[in-house]
Amino acid sequence: MSSDHAQESGLPQELTEEQRDCYQEIANIAMGQAAALLSRLLGVFIKLPIPRVNLFELADLNMALQSLDHDEAASAVCQGFAGDGITGEALIIFNDSNFEDIAQLMNYSGEQSEAMHVELLMDVANILIGAFLKGLANQMDLTFSHGHPMVLGQHKLVRDLLQPSRQPWQQTLAIEITYSLEDHPVNCDLLLLFTEDSIRIMNQKVAYLLDD
Amino acid sequence: MSDQSLRDIHWMLEILQTIDVGLVVINIEYEIQNWNGFMENHSGHRAQKVQNRNLFDVFPELPHTWFCQKVDTVRELNIRAFTTWEQRPYLFRFRTYHPITSTAEYMYQNSMLYPLENTSGEVEYIAIVIFDVTDVATNKLALQQANSELARISRTDALTQLYNRGYWEECLYRELLRCRRHQHTASLILLDVDHFKPVNDTHGHTAGDAVLRHLSRTIRQNVRETDIPGRYGGEEFGIILPETDSPKAFAFAERLRGLIEEEAIQIGDNSVSITVSFGVAELEQNMQTIEDWITRADEALYQSKQSGRNQVTAT
Amino acid sequence: MPTSVLICDDSSLARKQMARALPRQWEVDISYATNGEEALAAIKAGQADVLFLDLTMPVMDGYEVLEHIRREDLPTVVIVVSGDVQPEAVARARSLGALEFIKKPIDPDKTLAALTQYGLL
Repeated sequence: MSSDHAQESGLPQELTEEQRDCYQEIANIAMGQAAALLSRLLGVFIKLPIPRVNLFELADLNMALQSLDHDEAASAVCQGFAGDGITGEALIIFNDSNFEDIAQLMNYSGEQSEAMHVELLMDVANILIGAFLKGLANQMDLTFSHGHPMVLGQHKLVRDLLQPSRQPWQQTLAIEITYSLEDHPVNCDLLLLFTEDSIRIMNQKVAYLLDD
Repeated sequence: MSDQSLRDIHWMLEILQTIDVGLVVINIEYEIQNWNGFMENHSGHRAQKVQNRNLFDVFPELPHTWFCQKVDTVRELNIRAFTTWEQRPYLFRFRTYHPITSTAEYMYQNSMLYPLENTSGEVEYIAIVIFDVTDVATNKLALQQANSELARISRTDALTQLYNRGYWEECLYRELLRCRRHQHTASLILLDVDHFKPVNDTHGHTAGDAVLRHLSRTIRQNVRETDIPGRYGGEEFGIILPETDSPKAFAFAERLRGLIEEEAIQIGDNSVSITVSFGVAELEQNMQTIEDWITRADEALYQSKQSGRNQVTAT
Repeated sequence: MPTSVLICDDSSLARKQMARALPRQWEVDISYATNGEEALAAIKAGQADVLFLDLTMPVMDGYEVLEHIRREDLPTVVIVVSGDVQPEAVARARSLGALEFIKKPIDPDKTLAALTQYGLL
């Protein structure tokens, strides 16, 4: 059923190597800009990975999240964005064991509390999502409106963070980045998910980059 | 400038003035530069009155350190920042639009801080946008409260207000896992009211209920904070005692037995005395499941019943 | 004689963009590498008077390439081209012997200025 649907609507079921490479490089640059800001805020060097770019059905999103290797309780913030016909959501997923280190790096004193955790999540989300989207928009020559970030869940297993999708056959373009701090046991995942409708428009945009 | 564009600007300003969203512009000294109608109406301060005044002087309740930290980040990193009502219910203490009927005392707010650059690219001003999210917040809070109340009800025994059997067994299972993982010990006490049926038959079911309520109150008042009592069935109760070996659990059960024996229960004009039999089982290596554990405590309880009731047996 | 230029980046888009950003008047022979190991081999084969080097790469990253060049005293001038724009990344690349650090997305004017400054044009 799923592959039929994709074929009917004439959407790409796979990315060409060239397209994947393109998204990876765009993500690489946006990721670096976000990391520079975060490292300034925390005063720590951030180790950058090679971004992963994948196309999959929303039904498999949970599987993709679990492969991010959070075997303990995690917390997440999600923020929607839209611009030039491209819509999607950005997710920040944070292992709960990170909070203490991050609080220290950000000079937050006082008890570890629910409220402080929301605070830290929002601070990190503001920077990583904000700067990443800015970098992405600049490179692809578009602008995004940002929705208000929302706490998706706190202290939950990753598989319980997301509700099952209402449109499980819908394809999504996913960019996954794991930021880790040097000399601190802190990992934070940034996940960008673009809707099926957006993929065609984005593919056109990157085609310009390739042709130029 | 053409008439058209002048008119556009005029319209835009009018919209910004009347839109139902708060707009404030401050400079890096936190002095108010701009203030729209929403802010005027909810704060009671006219724009010309607050112009160039320090934001913290106008709103002393604004958390100083916290707010400065947010503004510093926005300014230094030149990014926008969002805050939600879940972090802090509000930035500015305003009344809600339903001051009479709303369950919220103050307006819940989401806010966005936005850096404004001058022509040379330096951030000279910060725009603060305030969204009224009272409806969303009160709904979500009500839902959370309803859910936690439902969760509480679903694990509570209505008569005794102790945990019901299902939830109590879940607790026992968790305790078993915890002890295995950390190589700790724990004890389980099962207790059963002696000759309960005659109480019911002689004094009626309400009397029987009163006895069970009295007993559960005595249990609740005497357990430690970490102990977990529950109603196991009819007149049978269970108590989980973490970090407790068999002799200590025995001593506790013995004390409880004495208390129950001594205290007469007043039911209407009648005074009823009851006794209780106990079975104690410390967790052992060879117990694989909670059923194994319960069986051992049950065997001990049976022993107490067989040897004349109103006594404690430990395995 | 044209200058031999090696562009090392795992992304084909990035390699293309780097090649495009080189000044037109510069007479060059461009070859490409997709990771650090390939780059080292190309340097040893004399294909890199100037090396434009990415930092974040699979197999062998840019930092390791810089270390190898320094340790083996390989004859090449390295300009790092990276999306990792943390000041610490710039400092590390320089301390490992990179002559210049060009931030992605690449600005052709800045590339020209850097090449002129170091007399490579």
